[in-house]
Amino acid sequence: MATAIPAHAAERLKGLRSSAHSTGVFTSDFSVNEFLLVRKAGFEPIGLCVGTCVYHVGIQYGSWSKNQELDVLSKAMYHARELAMSRMRAEATAMQADGIVGVKLTIKRLEWDNQLLEFIAIGTGVVHGDGHKGFRAHDGGPFTSDLSGQDFWSLLHSGYRPVEMVMGSCVYHVAHRGMLAGLGSVGRNVELENFTSAMYEAREIAIERMQFEASQAKAEGVVGVDLHEGSHGWQTHVIEFFAVGTAVVPLDQEIAPEKIEDPIMVLSVND
Amino acid sequence: MGLFDLFRRPSAEALAQRAAHEQRVADIQKCLSNGEVPTAIRMRLEGARKGTLPWIATLTPAELMIVRSHGLRPIAAVSATCWLHYGWSWTEGHAQGWDMALRRLREEARAAGANAVLDVKMRTVALGVENSMDFTLLGTAVYVDGLPPSNEPIVATVPALEFVKLLEADVVPTGIAIGAHYEWLNDWRGTARMTWQGNAESQQLSELWEIVRQRAHQQLRAHARAQGNGVLAHLNFSQMFESEQNRQKQYLARHIVVATTVDARRGAALPHDIKIVVDAHAGGTPLTGTTRHHQSYASNEAEGGI
Repeated sequence: MATAIPAHAAERLKGLRSSAHSTGVFTSDFSVNEFLLVRKAGFEPIGLCVGTCVYHVGIQYGSWSKNQELDVLSKAMYHARELAMSRMRAEATAMQADGIVGVKLTIKRLEWDNQLLEFIAIGTGVVHGDGHKGFRAHDGGPFTSDLSGQDFWSLLHSGYRPVEMVMGSCVYHVAHRGMLAGLGSVGRNVELENFTSAMYEAREIAIERMQFEASQAKAEGVVGVDLHEGSHGWQTHVIEFFAVGTAVVPLDQEIAPEKIEDPIMVLSVND
Repeated sequence: MGLFDLFRRPSAEALAQRAAHEQRVADIQKCLSNGEVPTAIRMRLEGARKGTLPWIATLTPAELMIVRSHGLRPIAAVSATCWLHYGWSWTEGHAQGWDMALRRLREEARAAGANAVLDVKMRTVALGVENSMDFTLLGTAVYVDGLPPSNEPIVATVPALEFVKLLEADVVPTGIAIGAHYEWLNDWRGTARMTWQGNAESQQLSELWEIVRQRAHQQLRAHARAQGNGVLAHLNFSQMFESEQNRQKQYLARHIVVATTVDARRGAALPHDIKIVVDAHAGGTPLTGTTRHHQSYASNEAEGGI
């Protein structure tokens, strides 16, 4: 069965210009599918929002044989990300967006200086099609979220809306092997408790910080959490534990689980 | 902090931070050696269970939607680590390391009052500490509406979508099974050296591989039996080394198999019809499950399929 092309699209195909978009041109980094699903969710993209920050990260050395958080570096990573994110959010506020979806947060090291890091946050500002203001964040500003357009649609259909992209960071120095001396571990497999507890501590700090941000945003939960480890040109045993996710709250009218449509088994024929 | 701050006396804040760190680490070590969940983590898990803290889920929104429609609710991200030094055996260390991490993960799930842990990923930090490796598991603890907390929470190493897909087909993913075996071969007759021979099988090395692989799979089966009645989603890792001592060649072969154990009712077919669709998801589609879920073992099957 062929579906008829909508009148507006047909006009456009005939070469007529559109006047449908009241704010003029919109910009976005959406893929086709993302665009369609954001609109299906009832939102319209209005413009790309960008925030950047070039940050000079201070010096801090962990002592060779000690596990410890390098709080100078933790704070730097926090502060710089915060600056980039808040600048992006200010752009969204300026264009009166209700929120930003698909935020990509990237870090680049600048070539000529090891201690200079560039933080970039880019996302697409969206407004609710019917001007509904209930999607704004707890402080009345635009919500932020690293969810793609597809994820955004799915989230609304699972009964939640995004509030804020939350994160927790802990830059940690893991001790060197020197502390194994005298362990007498030849011939046995033994757990290196010092290393295990380093991982536990660093990870817990990162998660707790993220969860604290979510509490501050009055969220019910955090979805799409990614917990990963990275190094940004530091000494070999210095690792950043980074937790990031989107804090969510239930929709004004929460969807009861039994109202969520049952999934259908499908076979994708894309490739 | 600038460079000169290094020579200053630590501030009161820094001293307090250091004391808190020492206390936390002491608590982590004490609790882990008693087989308990460290205090800070336990409090976070309890807060999430009671709803005084936000829940945390590694699930995507699509997964959240589907687990909710099946009566599951996320509680908290749970994780476990065991950093093991191989003084005795690298190969067997892998079984030991994952086993310990698994036990700790279950303990966290229990503390969260969960029925299951979904989306469990096997992770390793790339930190070359000689002769050792960290075995880390990360997942999302969930409870099932209407069920009491489980004393033996299920651990599923598949993503949440696949977990639900399996449940619908009356299959329950239950945990991880590991088989690991290694064997040395002393080639005192030098028959593995085949320089002057034409086309011929290297029987000794073939036999070595056969033995090692069979034993590893036997172990996998034994380990799986305690948890369910089948395994899925194999992850294979194998290596062979040659070394020479007193002009005699020695070979070491090792094989590690990791798999998700399931409890499946035999003969129960998938109840759904299958629809053909065009998938609107960008990039790697979750429908086919092609995204890489674990990162602890890079596949070393460099030569590819036959």
